[in-house]
Amino acid sequence: MKKFLATLLALVMVLSLAACGGGSDQGATPPPADSGSTGTEAPPADAGSGEKTAIKVIAAEYGQNTKQWWADFVTEFNGSHDDIELTVEAVSWNDIYTVVNTRVANNDAPDILNIDVFADYVADDLLLPIQDCVSDETYAKFYDAFLEQSNIDGTIWAIPDLASARAMYYNTDILEAAGVEVPTTWDELKAACEAIKAYDSSIYPWGIDMTTDEGQAAFAYYIWNNGSDFTDASGNWTLDADANVEAIEYAVGLVEDGLTNTDPANETRYALQDLFGAGKLAMMIGPNSIPTYIADNYAKANTPAEEQISYAFAAIPTNGGNSSVSAGVMDRFMVFDNDDSDEKIEAIKEFFDFFYEDTRYSDWVLMEGFLPATSAGGEIVAASDESMAPWVEIVGSCKFYPTAKAEWADVKQGVIDVEQQALLGGDVKELLENLQATIAG
Amino acid sequence: MSTKTPSAPAEAQELTKKAPRPSGSKKLSRKIEPYIWIAPSIILMAIFIVTPIVKVFQLSMSKVTRAGLVKGYNNFENFSKVLKSPAFALVLKNTIVWTIAVVVLSTVLGFMLALVLNNKFRGRKVARAIVVFPWATTLVIQASAWNFIINKDYGTLNTLLMKIGLISAPVNWTPTPAAYFAWEIACGIFVTIPFVTFCVLSGLQSIDASYYEAATVDGAGYFQKLFSITLPLVKSSLTVATVLNIIYVFNSFPIIWTMTKGDPANHTDTLVTYLYKLAFYNGKQGEASAVSVIGFIILLVCASVYMIYTLRKGDDDL
Amino acid sequence: MSQPVNTVKKPVSIKKTILRLLLYFVVLDVCVITLYPYFAMLCTALKNRVEIFSGDNILPVTALWSNFIDIWSRAPMAKYMLNSVLIAGGSTIIAMLCGIPAAYALARMKFRGQTAFLGFVIVSQMFAPVVLLIGIYQVMQRLGLTDNILGLIFINAAFNQAFTIWLLRGTFMGISAEMEQAATIDGCTRVQSMMKVLLPVAAPGIVTTLIFIFINAWNEYTVALCLISTDTYKPLTVGINTFNGYNMIEWQYLFAASIFAIIPVVILFMCIEKNLVSGLASGGVKG
Repeated sequence: MKKFLATLLALVMVLSLAACGGGSDQGATPPPADSGSTGTEAPPADAGSGEKTAIKVIAAEYGQNTKQWWADFVTEFNGSHDDIELTVEAVSWNDIYTVVNTRVANNDAPDILNIDVFADYVADDLLLPIQDCVSDETYAKFYDAFLEQSNIDGTIWAIPDLASARAMYYNTDILEAAGVEVPTTWDELKAACEAIKAYDSSIYPWGIDMTTDEGQAAFAYYIWNNGSDFTDASGNWTLDADANVEAIEYAVGLVEDGLTNTDPANETRYALQDLFGAGKLAMMIGPNSIPTYIADNYAKANTPAEEQISYAFAAIPTNGGNSSVSAGVMDRFMVFDNDDSDEKIEAIKEFFDFFYEDTRYSDWVLMEGFLPATSAGGEIVAASDESMAPWVEIVGSCKFYPTAKAEWADVKQGVIDVEQQALLGGDVKELLENLQATIAG
Repeated sequence: MSTKTPSAPAEAQELTKKAPRPSGSKKLSRKIEPYIWIAPSIILMAIFIVTPIVKVFQLSMSKVTRAGLVKGYNNFENFSKVLKSPAFALVLKNTIVWTIAVVVLSTVLGFMLALVLNNKFRGRKVARAIVVFPWATTLVIQASAWNFIINKDYGTLNTLLMKIGLISAPVNWTPTPAAYFAWEIACGIFVTIPFVTFCVLSGLQSIDASYYEAATVDGAGYFQKLFSITLPLVKSSLTVATVLNIIYVFNSFPIIWTMTKGDPANHTDTLVTYLYKLAFYNGKQGEASAVSVIGFIILLVCASVYMIYTLRKGDDDL
Repeated sequence: MSQPVNTVKKPVSIKKTILRLLLYFVVLDVCVITLYPYFAMLCTALKNRVEIFSGDNILPVTALWSNFIDIWSRAPMAKYMLNSVLIAGGSTIIAMLCGIPAAYALARMKFRGQTAFLGFVIVSQMFAPVVLLIGIYQVMQRLGLTDNILGLIFINAAFNQAFTIWLLRGTFMGISAEMEQAATIDGCTRVQSMMKVLLPVAAPGIVTTLIFIFINAWNEYTVALCLISTDTYKPLTVGINTFNGYNMIEWQYLFAASIFAIIPVVILFMCIEKNLVSGLASGGVKG
């Protein structure tokens, strides 16, 4: 028995030693208990002196500069707010759903989340009405149309942090060489594609992205510009509307006729942008950030002007005499209901006031080439960057996905599936009818 | 290994010889001792693997909201939803093709590579280090690199072939979903070979050279030696490696996710990528858990059959 | 390389020469195919984005070595690298500390539930970490190990138990128990006889296991992604995602960072590979 106990003890010691070894290995890692406030400073000594209100934010990482922007923001914010301890975690778009869902499922939601979706959280009563968490002054800054996008049953649950809008980009050199005008209708578009293909078969005339990444955008571009929508005026799903069938058949037809990039089910918008930037793709629908992106590439590569592509953007071509609709994408801030004290709510209000302070906000928007969601921000952005002015105009009038509807996540995956099935030869009408039956039935 | 080594019986003898002597408490400690030796491992796995597994089973039978909150049990509704979904059969078929193709080919190629690398030759150390490369690279990156290589428009494979003059225009290497899937399988094989190679190599290293010498004296040829000495002796380590390989490959996620995300329309999905989409893109955590339980059952059956077949056959290895 | 090559100098037959040449041919092919993706990655890492997507050249026109420098200023690469080393190293240590005794017990003792335990070990591997994320997060939350490198160390150690135990058990069983018994008679305890007699002889198997765990932990991505929220605790695999942005993927940086990420593993392997051979050279395999 003694031997048994001795062996047991020895093993326990080995294990705990190992654990300690692992622990001390980390060196800088603070003990887990206070790892919530993993700011770079804050030595444990003064932790007891003043109770700080901790705010945890998870933010989407939009690009190269996001992380640094938030790091600077946190330093500035914490520097001017002695009683608040702000931490911001920037998560890349590829992973943010995984990260957030895992945390939420374990009741470890952040206080503030910056993401695109919100309806699912509302459905589970996880959010606070945003008006309770934002000062009136800040709240008044947003475009009403934007706030309306986050309206469920009469309550606004989120505020927009930025927006982006889409338009058709075209390579002016290629269009000129192929002798085509900028297309404004679907018929013109198809004719232009054929002309470009005849001019140089190694160039892809038109770019389409029907991937899991953003296939829903393609769906929106074509149905909206065919005078149709995801829902009818009273908000019922109308996915299998005739105009929708026609729209998707048109888009898939372009692929089948060999007028697009080779593999729309696998080539994401990134890939299309890169092809466009390399002069291998003549036209595509893309976000307002493309000029920044292309200019950035040229700057880094020191590309001489004569080797750069020349391009411009125009309204997305439409069908049946409908006026062109730009697709808007909007991301949001929402506040999770973590049984917050009044001080915490106040701290959250401070956060938003700080963030939406006009110059800081326009800096945020310009950082990755997005569009502002506040009127003041819009004015500043339009004034500071001439090329942005038309976009600020466009974003005020574009259409958004019906993200406030509970079935949106299913619809999004569903329409992507329909597109891909259609690319494989499926019947669009049948596919959309099935989807409509699953969603609405 | 085991067939030639009488270690287990010797141990048993030793135990029976010593067993009658010790006093009562000693006997008890003898009985308990093995459990102490395996305790750390059991504790580690119980906390960090078994608890999450229990959670998966629980979720698979629960109604889970889109945001991930559990709202009570719903019997087997998740399972019936999954089984009814039209994509499931396709995904299951893909998973089986993927697993068999990657495991079989990587085992055969890995084994052959190990035989080659077991020879003494100039530069062997460098060659071995190079073979480790695919394994030492994160799968996400590995898959990105392959995607980059086979890209029709700017991929290096087309550029290379065009520079050499083998092709005159870029070739579309992934014209159909099946072709893309084949590339993914190739990538899977590429990254799995080192694992097999080094498992086999370590088995080969422990084979006593005297066996070969004796066989050579007896006039045995290369293939005779291969089949009568090498294969039986590395069988046990190869069996384990293969079972684990089946499990890892079946559950492999990053390659397919990085290259195609299962597109188009589930044609390149395997169970794991499918359930990942269900869980984190569609907000169907319950159904995703059901898929993983189904996958688990399939694996359990296959692995058990395989293990019983190979390990119980002929020897008392277990 | 310097181990005694005891190939007795025989008259070199033509057949031998052909076989040699064939061997080199195969090895060379394997190396070329294996290295090709890395060659492509390196070339891409040395280009600028415009050149990457032109697809005109294999080699960069002017090698942009600055890409390799840029990544260090664009992301805390050194910190990521250190974290990865800690995680992989720590996981290896814990997995070995737990796995060696278990493998030893399975190889050298007879006890009730032995087969069941072996089965359990395999079954424990049958769920992909992706599937277990939510459960893993829950456990870590209870233990206060979220956003902590220690949590990743334990998870990786646990997920590598199956391989550790099965491979080491096989290795141990392949080694005769006689020498250990002799040591026990000389007054060594089981632990001592294991440490002094068995483990040195089992070196090749142990080294293989070690490399395996290290590499697996080094490459782990999904769990680290969900558990670690503070940038400075992230391992390389997660950290380099910085170059994978919303508007573009910075291929040149992603690949440059990935090439750095291979170096430690290859160095480790080169150091350890000698033992893979000399364990055998030390001879006592059959006891």
